[in-house]
Parts: sequence; C-alpha cells; structure tokens
Amino acid sequence: MSHPLHQNPSTPITPRGTTTRRGFLSLSAGTASLAALAACGGTGGGSASGGGGDTIAFWDMPWGEPAYNTAAEKLTTTYKPTGENLPAEYQTVQWNNFTQTFASAIASNTGPAVSTGGGFQAYQYAEQGAIAYADDLLETFKTDGIYDDFLPGTIEPFKSADGYVAVPTQIDMRVWWYRKSIFDQEGLTLPTTWEEYLTVATTLAAKGYSAYGTGAGAGNFNGSQGLVTMLINNGGGFYNTDNELDCVTDRNIETLDFVAQLRSAGIIDPAAVSYTTDNLNSQWRDGKVAMGIFGAGLDNEIGDTSGDLRVATPMAGPHGDLGCLQYLNNIMMYKNTPSQASSEAFLLYWFKNYGTLFQQKLLNGLPVLQSVVDLPEFQAEAQKAEIIKTWQPIGKTFAATGNVVSARAAAIDGGQALNEFAQTVLSGGGDSRATLEKLQKDIEAL
Amino acid sequence: MSASVEGALGKARRGVGVAGPGRAGAPRRGMRRGALTLLLLVLPSILLVLLINGYPLVYALNQSLHKGSLIATGDFVGLDNYANVLTSDAFWAAARFTVVFTVVGVFGSWLLGLGLALLLKTRIPASGTFKVLLLLPWVVPVVVSATAWNYLVATPSSPVPRLAEALGLGTPLFLANPTLAAITVCLFKVWVSFPFMMLMTSSALTSVDGTVYEAAQMDGANRRQQFTGITLPLIARSTYISWILMTIFCVNDFPTIYLLTGGGPVNATTSLVVLAYRTVFQNFQTGPGVAIAFLMTATLVVISVLLYRQIRKSAVE
Repeated sequence: MSHPLHQNPSTPITPRGTTTRRGFLSLSAGTASLAALAACGGTGGGSASGGGGDTIAFWDMPWGEPAYNTAAEKLTTTYKPTGENLPAEYQTVQWNNFTQTFASAIASNTGPAVSTGGGFQAYQYAEQGAIAYADDLLETFKTDGIYDDFLPGTIEPFKSADGYVAVPTQIDMRVWWYRKSIFDQEGLTLPTTWEEYLTVATTLAAKGYSAYGTGAGAGNFNGSQGLVTMLINNGGGFYNTDNELDCVTDRNIETLDFVAQLRSAGIIDPAAVSYTTDNLNSQWRDGKVAMGIFGAGLDNEIGDTSGDLRVATPMAGPHGDLGCLQYLNNIMMYKNTPSQASSEAFLLYWFKNYGTLFQQKLLNGLPVLQSVVDLPEFQAEAQKAEIIKTWQPIGKTFAATGNVVSARAAAIDGGQALNEFAQTVLSGGGDSRATLEKLQKDIEAL
Repeated sequence: MSASVEGALGKARRGVGVAGPGRAGAPRRGMRRGALTLLLLVLPSILLVLLINGYPLVYALNQSLHKGSLIATGDFVGLDNYANVLTSDAFWAAARFTVVFTVVGVFGSWLLGLGLALLLKTRIPASGTFKVLLLLPWVVPVVVSATAWNYLVATPSSPVPRLAEALGLGTPLFLANPTLAAITVCLFKVWVSFPFMMLMTSSALTSVDGTVYEAAQMDGANRRQQFTGITLPLIARSTYISWILMTIFCVNDFPTIYLLTGGGPVNATTSLVVLAYRTVFQNFQTGPGVAIAFLMTATLVVISVLLYRQIRKSAVE
C-alpha cells in the first residue's frame, strides 16, 4: 500500500469550479476505492512460472543469514537433471507480503512449481486444489534411504486425507532461553518445574529483570507463540485428541491463571503487549530479560554469540507435562508445474544436498534430517544441538493435543484471533475462561 | 440604438450571421466529425482507465459477494458478507476508532498547519529554513517516522516515558495502554500530516489581497476580527478542499497505524482499513475483508459529497 500522502493533492480540484459534481464523485470514489482495495490487492508474483517454460521454478524464503539465499541459489543452479528432467530456477521471495505474492501468482498461474513458504501454506493451497501431493516423492525417499533419516514425528503432520501436502525441511521451536550471567550473579539455578520457575522469576523481577521476555506489538508473534507453548507445556492446546477445536479446557484455564499470576507479580513487563520484534530483541540484547520463550536462533538473531544466552531445560507443568510449540517449515510442490517428475527429481537432489547450507551455518532453523544433525558443523552450534536433543522430542504442532493440522492453522497462527488473545492475556485483562471462550468463538468464525 | 444594430445583436445571440442563416448542415456535420475524432483520440485512455480502475473494482465487488479465498472466488453468498460485517462488534469498534482518528487527524493537523502558516506569513528570521524543517514529517517516509516514534515511546526506558517519570508523572505505557495508544497514534497522524495542511493554507493565504486587511484596519477591526471576518472566509474554499483530502488520507491510512501499533493493544487502534487488511491477509476471509473496504468507500463518498457541497456554497457566498 502506498503512503496516502503521496497521492497528488492538486489533481482533483481545478480552480473556479471547473470540476463537475459527477467528476468529483467519481474521483473521490476512485481514490477511496483504490486505496482501500490496495490493502486487498496482490503484489504480483515473480518472473518464473511453475506452469510454463523449460525450468522448474523454485521460490525460496530468506531462512537465515543474507548469504543463505545466495548459497541456496548456487545449490539450485548447480543441479544437473538427468534424463528428461528439467533444470531448476531459483527465486527469493521476501517475507514482507509473501502471502499476497504467492496468492496472486498462484491465482494467475504464474506461481512456482516448488516452494518453501509459510508454515501452514501447503495446507491452505492443498484445500484449494493447488498442491501436488508428495506421496510419490516420499516413496522415492524410502527407496533412497532419506525417509528414515527424518527426525521422528516430523513427516506425519503433513498427512492429509488426500496425501502428504509437503515435506519438512527445517524445525523452528519456541523454547525457554536464559542469560547465564544474570543467573550466576543472582545465585539462581535453572527451574525444572513451573513452581520453581515462579520462585526464580519472582526473585528476578524483584531485581528489575524480566523473567518472561515476550512481545505482542506490531508484527510480533512472540507473545502468542509463547502462550501456545505454555498451553502445550501444561498438556493443553487448541484441539482435543479427536482433533476438534476445544480451547476452553481445565488445563488451558489453569495455564492462563498461571500467566495472570506472572503478570500480577510483575514478572511479565506490562509494556510487553506492545513490543515489536525490535523492542523485544533490544530488551534481550541489553540484558533486561533474564528468561523468556523465543525461537531456536535467539543468540544469532540478537547478535550475542558470547555463550551467555543459553537454552534452558524444559520445565514440567503442574501435572508433570512437558512440551513446547514446534513449527515444521516445509517445501511444497504445486500442480502448476511443467513436469511433476522434474519437481520431484529436483527435491530429491535438494534433500540429498541441503545439508551443505547447515554446514555453512546459514540457517536459523534446525535440520529435520538426523544425518545433518550429526554433522560436526551443526553440533558445534551448542544451543541448537541442545534444542534438538532436549526440546525437539517434546515439540508439538498447533494441532495439539490432536495430531491433524488443517488449513485453519494458517488463519490461527498470526491471525486476529490469536493476536487479540495474546494481547488480552499479556495486558492482564479478563477472566481466563472468558478469554478462552472468546478465542474459541473467534477461531470458529475463521 | 438603431433597429438594424439591435437586429444584428439579436441574430448574433441566436447564432445567426448578419448576412443570413447560411447553411446549417455543414458546420453541424463538421462538429460531429470533430467530436468523433476527439472521442477516438481519448478512447485508448478511457479503455486503459477502465481496465486499470474498473476491472479491480468489479473483481473486488464480486469477491465481496462470495465466500472465497485469496486464489479462488468461492460460493456466491449474496450480501451475507456485508450483513455479517455490519453486525460484528469488531467492525463498529474499528469504525469508531476510524472516526476519532479522522476527526483528530483532520482538525488537529489543520489547526497546527494553519497556526504555522500564519506564523510563517509574518516576517521572522530564517523562515525558509523553518519551512523546510517543518516539511520534514511529511517528506520522511512513514516507516522511518514510525520507527522513530516507536524508539521514543515504546518501552519504559524510552526517552519520553523516562522524561515523564523524571517529571513525576509515573511511567506511562504509551503503546501498551489502550487509551494512550489511541492518543499516540492520533498524535502521530497529526505530526505526519500538518505540513500538508500548512502548505495548503500558506498557498491560500498568499492569495488574500493585503489591501483588504488595510481597509479593515482603517475601519477599526482588531486582529481577531480580521482573522474571523477576513482570513477564514477568504481561505474557506481551500480549507474545505484540504479537509476533504485529509479525510480521505486518514480513513485510508494503513501504514501510520499498522507500523506503530499493528492495531493493538487488543484492537484499541484498529481502524477500518487495518481491519480489512487483517481480515483478508491474516484471517484469509476475502469476502468480508473486501466488503469492509467497500463500506469504507461508500462512507467516504458520502462525507466527500457533503464537504463538496460546502465548497460550492462557500464559492457562491
């Protein structure tokens, strides 16, 4: 959307009433409509179409360091297809407005043949008939030995009634981090239960530190993702074991009551509800946050690789449950491809070789293949290796406590309902049951 | 006046030459040919405008009547999307904030712009430099301004909350408290917009003849009387135009709000355009989102017509 002030203010009105009323009406209506509809318009796709030409268009997101996309492009262009398979062409798609970019491109048949993207994008486009299912590719993986290399529980969430909508490429997790120097300075030990955490956090808050570093301001989803982690940690979630939406449960109420306790004890910064990603990162960087829930690459993201920022051990909830939110970033194929066989051949090559990107330490996420986890270069990243070892086995998706991820997850994650829920909880407003009932109602409306 | 001269003038008024009526058909045919040529010349432009503006509008209207997604039109639902939107609390909450944001944005920036324009009209040293400095909020990209404002107010350790604390006003949470967030966003809009109003008003003020003021002074009018009796009426037309434009800018303003608060906390600063965006691109509900955009458009047209009537009225007076 363009800045409204950049519209030319002198155009509509000419001196001394030469503009007719009808002309003026058309103009004002046009101005208003265009500006409003600009909010709803696509921003166009890229240059390569998955459905035409003699290449496989591969659209990839910026998954880490700026050098990542350069290296990923090199990996793509060095692909030498065999037989009648087509070569691949690489294109970076920025996160900014990526939903519009994909939607407009796919709607106009100018989208990719293969892409990474949003965590739940594949479920959405599968529901709309745009996805080429990965069942045949996974069969090939089985014969090539790649299938057994995937970490446990990483492939199954992609299974739908019609087939596998995508294949996982990276894991992103929301885990507890802490700043070791603060704990050492205050003589604190890492909590292993929520009860211990409350004691430690109260001590830290009394010393002026935030012990629940979070943010739910403009464009920051840390707050909502942290709360989902807390719900899962206490054996809760948005769905029940029959995969039905079920937000208002005793476990979820208990969790929100606990968070409310943190809020009223001053453990959660009252300003956190409006913190952007930059605000939150600054708080971590400046040593104001002693503990908090964050993604797998906190140390890299805030540029503190001194080893002071460390991954905490999982804490047991009041009933002894362990758990955290896990995103399985993935790669998907589209029906709009010049050759499905070529799409699959390219992905086979990609999975056999993408470990080199981890060897170069270019990705923020975690690998899904055990062989990549075992690489010495990955093991040298102590915090990431620790996350894979201690947190990944207890990770659950947005489908928790169910096991079927649906297209609706895309609208929940980052949608209005969850954002409003997080801001309500973090600002200390509302009764826990009423907040969850509102969330249930809002999600049902999606 | 002689009868022959009067007759000639009468013929001239009726479009008849002194020598007689002549052949009426030839010029009419010529005129028709000229009009056809003109029409053919402008036809490509008309088609282009229809294609660029008309197609998206028709397509969007169609989307608002369907339960679709970003890539598929979906099932026809008639006016259900409009009915659902108009009966939702979120829509009316956003509409209320849009009204507040627009009223404060339009009149706040106008008052500030008018005041500064009047100040710059007087002979002050380095007025050119002041003008350039005062234009900066408008010239600087809004993403930069929003980042700067965020730095100033977002956290308890930001400069403005610390200043407030030093003055014994506590630690206000400018973006975390719903009321303060709404006030901050409105002030941000005024800050971004006042240079535009200042330019419009400055331009109008330069067109006011100085002798009018001299005459008023001779008649004993004081400064307040000159301002209310001369300045405001003489710049009224320009003022109404700037109000119309600023109303459109405010109602359609997405980045100012979205970059500073994202519409939060808990929807306290969600305007209609932010709600439309979030409905389409975060909730993936294309029909209701576009319906909100159309309702906004209809409201804007009504407001614009009312203000336009006021312009005509002021022109007649």
